[in-house]
Amino acid sequence: MRRQLAFLVAVMALLPGSIAPAANLPRLVSMNVCTDQLVLRLADPEQILGLSKFSRDGWQGPAVGDISRYPVLSGGAEDVLLIKPDIVVASAFDKRSTRELLKAKGLRLAELAVPRTLDEARQQIREAGDITGHPDRAAKEIARLDAALARARGAVAERHYRVLPLSRRGWVAGSDSFVGSLLSETGLRSAAGDLGFTFGGFASLEAIVNLRPDFIVVSQAGDYARDDGQAFLLHPALERFYPLEKRIVIPERMTECGGVMLADALDALTAELKRVGR
Amino acid sequence: MSVEAVTLTNADAARRRIGATLALSAFVVLLMLISLGIGPVRLSPLAVAEALFGGGSEVSQVIVREIRLPRTLLALAIGAILGLSGAALQGLLRNPLASPELFGAPQSAAFGAVLVIALGLADVRSYALPVAAIIAAFGSVFGLLSIAGRNAGLLILILSGLAISSFAGAATALVMNLATNPFLVLEIAFWLLGSLEDRSFQHVMLAFPFIVAGGAMLLSQRNAFRALSLGEETAQSLGVDVGRLRLFVISGVALGVGGAVAVTGTIGFIGLVAPHLMRPAIGHDPGRLLIPSALAGSALLLAADIAVRIIPSTSDIKVGVLTSIIGVPFFLYLIMRERRALGGGVA
Repeated sequence: MRRQLAFLVAVMALLPGSIAPAANLPRLVSMNVCTDQLVLRLADPEQILGLSKFSRDGWQGPAVGDISRYPVLSGGAEDVLLIKPDIVVASAFDKRSTRELLKAKGLRLAELAVPRTLDEARQQIREAGDITGHPDRAAKEIARLDAALARARGAVAERHYRVLPLSRRGWVAGSDSFVGSLLSETGLRSAAGDLGFTFGGFASLEAIVNLRPDFIVVSQAGDYARDDGQAFLLHPALERFYPLEKRIVIPERMTECGGVMLADALDALTAELKRVGR
Repeated sequence: MSVEAVTLTNADAARRRIGATLALSAFVVLLMLISLGIGPVRLSPLAVAEALFGGGSEVSQVIVREIRLPRTLLALAIGAILGLSGAALQGLLRNPLASPELFGAPQSAAFGAVLVIALGLADVRSYALPVAAIIAAFGSVFGLLSIAGRNAGLLILILSGLAISSFAGAATALVMNLATNPFLVLEIAFWLLGSLEDRSFQHVMLAFPFIVAGGAMLLSQRNAFRALSLGEETAQSLGVDVGRLRLFVISGVALGVGGAVAVTGTIGFIGLVAPHLMRPAIGHDPGRLLIPSALAGSALLLAADIAVRIIPSTSDIKVGVLTSIIGVPFFLYLIMRERRALGGGVA
């Protein structure tokens, strides 16, 4: 018995993060790649009992360190029921049936929407800070966001660029969308409104070429088209007017969720403006 | 009927054939001009003409020469090869319901291309795509003709075609099912609808070599089709190697359809409809039907591709969807017309 106990203690000591789980902090699982970002930034590693099945797709960025130590969830309800976390952090866009089932089984769910404005993003970070029990870290993240925003504004300065956020297949995020509001917060003007898009829509190549915004904002550089949607962005007609010097590249993992990665997105924007503005 | 009368009707028929072919060519040219003139950005015909020959503003030049011209050329070539493939298959099998799409060739080609996209093996603008599509299309047509046998009746051909296109569809669905990237599934779904929108000269270079090669192979056999229409044994006695002819047609169809599908996705029913439209004017000689069918295919696809740009809709209609919407009722009409042959069982 004593030998077994000693063995157990030895194993426990080898496990990372198993030293002393803070007594009152909630144990969490995250069901969505966006909530993964929030949880990884705000919670202690010991609090995290599982991440979404897409968590290892490279969307988390280098700042959170090695995430391979966290278990990956299946996306269904079964393993979550088995883990019995204190809080399940999910997105309002996850499978409804799974969320309903978890709730019916008495688990506490925190459902986060994708923010549509910068204020909503700050609000969400604050909310996630309360969920994880680390409001101090949330405040720090918000301060980081505001500092990044100030830097981006400084980089835009008085230049009044007219830019067009352009995604695969010619999708343009509208002037009322999150990307649109993010751009206008920094002082850039989105050309989406000139195409008649308030919420967003698909723009034809002809219309973009005819509009001639100063820059297009895309999510990746390079000349490789994995699929037709990316091939659109590499069409010779677009490349002619928008070579890399006319493209502002912000990785989509920084913008899609609108949470703690926003500060990184804004810093990327600042760096890109310096690159293309010369 | 006197000898004189027969020669007269022959001369009449020849005149009508040539007239129809010339009129159709003129119509195709007209459609090409309309296709160059229409797009989301309104350009006057004069501005289009100017831009086409290197004048006007840089923007209108790019719109006409780099966006609209490749689209128009692709519609021309792909419509032609589809019409030609339909006419060739109908000639080979002496069967008016033969066509690439009923045999599952475009669906199989799409599977080949989708597999390359899903596995991420290559850039979608590389030759990997048409090559995979051609291999898959060849496999499907070859498989179908092997299963159905030489003198298969309508029923066996249609049923085997149905089985093969269903299988290709299921395999494509499996690839989409197994794809881990949600964007990829959407991309493939869009791609399968078939579209000529925003293609570039890269795509033209991708498809043209295969379409030209396939078209040349099919056209080179026109005399064999004519001999074959007298029956297989007569054709053989006239020196037609039927086995070689079949391989030629299968390869030609696979090259053409595979090359086309690789840049546009699946565009169906042009191959079925085009030869039927031309038969009243050209007659039933399968050799003479080839070029008019190719022209009719071009005209159909150009017209459909113009229509998707004109039809008002909130999001753009894909041309492959339109050709199927028009093609399937036509197919039903053909089935009705061929009801007796189908009801009569295997010929």
